[in-house]
Amino acid sequence: MFPTPIENSSSLIRIGYKVILPIALFLWLLPLLGIAFTSIRPAADLDAGNYFGWPSNFAGVENYTSVFTRSNIGYYILNSFKVTIPTVIGTLILSTLAGYALAIYNFRSNLIIFFLFVAGNFVPFQILAIPVRDLSIDMGLYDTSIGLIMFHIAFQTGFCTLFMRNFIKALPVVLIESARVEGVNDWKIFYYIVLPLVRPAIAALAVLVFTFIWNDFFWATIMSQSVSVRPITAGISELKGQWKAAWELIAAASIIAALPPVAMFFMMQKHFIAGLTLGATKG
Amino acid sequence: MAKVELQDVRKSFGTHEVIKGIDLEIPDGAFCVFVGPSGCGKSTLLRMIAGLEHTTAGTIMIGGKDVTIVQPAKRGVAMVFQSYALYPNMTVAENITFGLRMTNQSKATTEKKLSDAALILKLDRLLDRKPAQLSGGQRQRVAIGRAIVREPGVFLFDEPLSNLDAALRVEMRTEISRLHAELDSTMIYVTHDQIEAMTMADVIVVLNAGRIEQVGSPLELYHNPNSLFVAQFMGSPKMNTFAVELSDYGHRKTKVDLPNGGFIVVDGSERLSGPAVLGVRPEHITIDTKGELKGEVVLSERLGPETMLHVDVGETEPVIVKEDGLNKLSRGDQCALKIEADACHLFASEGQTIRSGSLLD
Ligand SMILES: Nc1ncnc2c1ncn2[C@@H]1O[C@H](COP(=O)(O)OP(=O)(O)O)[C@@H](O)[C@H]1O
Ligand SMILES: [Mg+2]
Repeated sequence: MFPTPIENSSSLIRIGYKVILPIALFLWLLPLLGIAFTSIRPAADLDAGNYFGWPSNFAGVENYTSVFTRSNIGYYILNSFKVTIPTVIGTLILSTLAGYALAIYNFRSNLIIFFLFVAGNFVPFQILAIPVRDLSIDMGLYDTSIGLIMFHIAFQTGFCTLFMRNFIKALPVVLIESARVEGVNDWKIFYYIVLPLVRPAIAALAVLVFTFIWNDFFWATIMSQSVSVRPITAGISELKGQWKAAWELIAAASIIAALPPVAMFFMMQKHFIAGLTLGATKG
Repeated sequence: MAKVELQDVRKSFGTHEVIKGIDLEIPDGAFCVFVGPSGCGKSTLLRMIAGLEHTTAGTIMIGGKDVTIVQPAKRGVAMVFQSYALYPNMTVAENITFGLRMTNQSKATTEKKLSDAALILKLDRLLDRKPAQLSGGQRQRVAIGRAIVREPGVFLFDEPLSNLDAALRVEMRTEISRLHAELDSTMIYVTHDQIEAMTMADVIVVLNAGRIEQVGSPLELYHNPNSLFVAQFMGSPKMNTFAVELSDYGHRKTKVDLPNGGFIVVDGSERLSGPAVLGVRPEHITIDTKGELKGEVVLSERLGPETMLHVDVGETEPVIVKEDGLNKLSRGDQCALKIEADACHLFASEGQTIRSGSLLD
């Protein structure tokens, strides 16, 4: 059997495994634990220098409610959704269609266009910060959700198209040829045959893009300013200013901000099923 | 039901010419088999007829209409692929009716055609299953069902049975033959298996490196091959061949000197002297103490009704002799082989036939 089950290994390896694993796990989770603990500490603890010790009393309810009552975090979360969801949908539609075209059709500039999509991923986006900001001001898109959405879609589509193109390329071509001989038009082939088969890829990209856009801090700070547009990543920093670094609130807000991507992952989980093309060909 | 005509059809991938000028006429309602070794261009030719490959030069006509640049869907053909190509996300019923539903056929016709096809192919109990829940033979039947409901003029099969196990292959072979008799459509069937070709075809087209070697009925090709290639390709076990020397025997007869000293005399050879290749099928050699070829049995394959004796006569390959199943000879036994002179084929060293050993009338 590969890999060899740990129960069958020598006792030295077994003991080492049992000792090292919890330690590694603890170290790895330490920052998260730190934030979780901080978010339930009363402010007095932090003022008194009790950063890492046991909280003097449980202030979780209080902290988490004040995040919402005493700051604009509620708006920021809404703003994040307003940017992230349309970006995910827009990116997936564009990249699935582009990937289908690049994978299935043999037109002359096919490879060149494909390489353009690939090459786009190598441009460091920091270089583009100033031009993109200027452009968005010129276009009247600065500090609007739609502006953020459009630039996010533009930046995400490159990688997603590469991913979708390769995934579709790996599907059995005979499925498409067979449908073509049957007289099914290309849109219907896309909708009824390709789309159901690329569902795992779409689910994976949805989680990836969602997490990436939700966690984006760079464009959020560059492209937005007002309370009605700022996503949560940029919004959290507001807590610093208002209460001279209220760490317990920043920690609570961070935990709240981290929840939607996790929820997204569990929602999409059942679509990551492998072996979807089973039975299509010989098998 | 449609006639298929190919006129000087050619296909190149880049600069690599794969189909090198094919002229062929397949009569309406025929069961035509393209057979040839792997890589000779059978699939490519079939895909060109289907419209899945662009035709580099030449004309393809189906049912009297020039379809060389017509879309696959508009050619009136249905294709069954080697790998079945079932849509994994759809049930059997959905798979079979997919094309009909997508081309806006009425619900009543779709249902009717589905139930007819399911009945013919014995799929009625499997209609709600997904392809993953079917056996290989059942999957192939679904693929055929999908072709049947389109009621095409021409069925195209690309090695449909090569993924099935031997027993199932024999069963499906008869089933496809029955289907041909029932539907009365033209069928073009690609295979590299000469047994499939022999058993199913009305017309066999032997392809070799992008060219037609010979066209004919199964027995014509078997008994009257016009080249060494066809002679060796058709028939299992393969025809035995020997490098021989011809000399004039008088009275328009030819003396054929066998490799180890003996000779036989044949008539009707186009050439009377020089080097040649002698071809004899295993059933035209018998064990006979007065035989011309002496040798030693190196292997006896007992098939039951008959036994294939492999006899080493000092050539690079042993001679295969088809003997009765009760034959007692086994490995190590000495024997002499008698060659039936009438059934001997002679081929020039370039490969074309110079004497046919046909026993057909
Ligand atoms: N899409 C393609 N591009 C380039 N060469 C191809 C392509 N398809 C087939 N060929 C070549 O054409 C020849 C014939 O292939 P094919 O028709 O599949 O043979 P067969 O079906 O008789 O085994 C092979 O040499 C193969 O390499
Ligand atoms: Mg092939």
